[in-house]
Amino acid sequence: MSEHTVQAPRPAATAPPPRRRSKGLPPWAVAALKILGLAVVVVWCLFPFFWMAMTSLRTGADALTDPNILRGPFTFESYEQVVDLGFQYALRNSLIVASVTTLICIPVAALAGYALARLPLAGKFVILALTLVATLFPPVALVNPLYQVYLEVDSLIGLSLLNSYAGMILPYVALTLPLAIFILTTFFSGIPKEIEESAKVDGATPFQAFWRVVAPLAAPGVGAAAILTFVYATNEFLLAFSFAPADLNVQTVPVFIGTFERVGYEDPIGQVMAASVLVSIPLILFALVLQRRIVAGLTSGAVKG
Amino acid sequence: MVARTPAARSRRGHGLGERAMGRFFLAPSFAFMALIALFPVFYAIGMSLYRIRGFDQEFVGLGNYLDALGDSGFYSAVFNTFVFTVTSVSLEFVIGMAFALIMHQAFVGRGLTRVVILVPWVVPTAVAAQVWRYMFDHNPGFVNAVLGADINWLRDPFWSMVGIISADVWKTAPFVALLLLAGLQTIPRDFYEAARVDGANAVQRFWYVTLPLLKPAIVVALLFRTVDALRMFDFAYIFAGYSNHLATLSVYAQRYLIAEPDLGYANALSTITFIIVMLVGLAFISRMGRQVVGEAAPRKEKA
Repeated sequence: MSEHTVQAPRPAATAPPPRRRSKGLPPWAVAALKILGLAVVVVWCLFPFFWMAMTSLRTGADALTDPNILRGPFTFESYEQVVDLGFQYALRNSLIVASVTTLICIPVAALAGYALARLPLAGKFVILALTLVATLFPPVALVNPLYQVYLEVDSLIGLSLLNSYAGMILPYVALTLPLAIFILTTFFSGIPKEIEESAKVDGATPFQAFWRVVAPLAAPGVGAAAILTFVYATNEFLLAFSFAPADLNVQTVPVFIGTFERVGYEDPIGQVMAASVLVSIPLILFALVLQRRIVAGLTSGAVKG
Repeated sequence: MVARTPAARSRRGHGLGERAMGRFFLAPSFAFMALIALFPVFYAIGMSLYRIRGFDQEFVGLGNYLDALGDSGFYSAVFNTFVFTVTSVSLEFVIGMAFALIMHQAFVGRGLTRVVILVPWVVPTAVAAQVWRYMFDHNPGFVNAVLGADINWLRDPFWSMVGIISADVWKTAPFVALLLLAGLQTIPRDFYEAARVDGANAVQRFWYVTLPLLKPAIVVALLFRTVDALRMFDFAYIFAGYSNHLATLSVYAQRYLIAEPDLGYANALSTITFIIVMLVGLAFISRMGRQVVGEAAPRKEKA
């Protein structure tokens, strides 16, 4: 922008030639460069998705021999095949696991976030720092211990957590709680204290002040944390693959797609891409609709105005 | 129960006292994390001290850790993890920064780009891994066709590492851009004007104004990305299964946990992974954490 304001007081002698490339350019060229830059970003983000969609419409034999994705014939055969393989169950499982994880994680995290932002507690800074440390937790450290615990639980009370929704939801909640608490603490801290003070002056108990006054104001933060939790749970592969690898009654989408090659067939390129398109489209729509909330959530820890 | 402590009672005469409420609100989160995350870690550390074959358990102390030191597969996992992390995080940072600057400069199409940039982030990693694996595949050779090369991307140890790094950079550079863009938007325009008046050129303005003020956002982006790269499982497993030329620490540990059970050794491996990830993360947090955490934490209570 307004590059032309620069010219006046600069000592010209110190300027090496390539330094001021934008100065020599007319405004239309600067504008064109900016649009070109944006085009690069857009192509970067969308091209693999476009490749995926085109490949899913080609027959496997074509896709495997001819790299030109624009050459037909195009069919929906692969989509029919993944539905025959039960991909819709994987979609259902992912939706259930991610929703229940979010529904458990967010209320629990909201309570903790409110306590950390507002209530008098000893060692608040330490607790918050520990929460941040907990976000680093590598899931692979949970695989074996939880596996053993699940076996124990099964032999003690006959409750099978392996190959079950609960077996995935439990660790997902534990792993998403720290980030959710952190985001919600940030949002609760941003709500002016006077609002709840005045509610208390009007006779509200601390709990009423939280539930009736602060919670609704924190809705954007709650939304942001919920979306990030949901996306984490739809994305998680390692634990789902370890605890529920093959049973279509509980197998989630990442496991279905990630282990596809090992299911049989010659080379299921068309089916893998069709399944990928089927799960990506709803997620992308989800991201488009909730864009503002997502950005708010992702950046709440990083920068604070 | 705690509601009757003098402090709580003196604050407010009715309802749940604030201190009690604070503990009560924190309890579920911390109970959950302790039960599902903290306890398993100690359990894993305990198990890592045993040699376990079927139902036989024999205490071997640090034997499994010593085994790791003599295991070439372990070294290649450490090497792969390290190469992957350093390369992909550096590229993501540079490309993410470029994208953020582009988006920050733009007038037209900014809204569209901000939406589109979420696409790689929201697509599941398993999907991204499969798409890139097939683009790199030797048979149709889409990438080979574009480059006019004939590289066996999925078999060759070096080129397959290039493959997973490309996939990861594609997926997360936009995420880095988003974090940095948010940081850029908090820098007041006056600072740039002032720098201009003082005769700073574009590079100097970037170096002396943008970078220092962007530091908190940069640190957080690097923290998230580094930790995620260190514990990465999906890309390496989907590209190459358990084969050693791509296996990261998470893949290598998971192999002995599930695929070829050798539980004592596997738990030693996952404990090592845990320690490495935690140490690196803590190094970030301890250096920069105070400013980040300090912003989320409220100022000292007034009384």
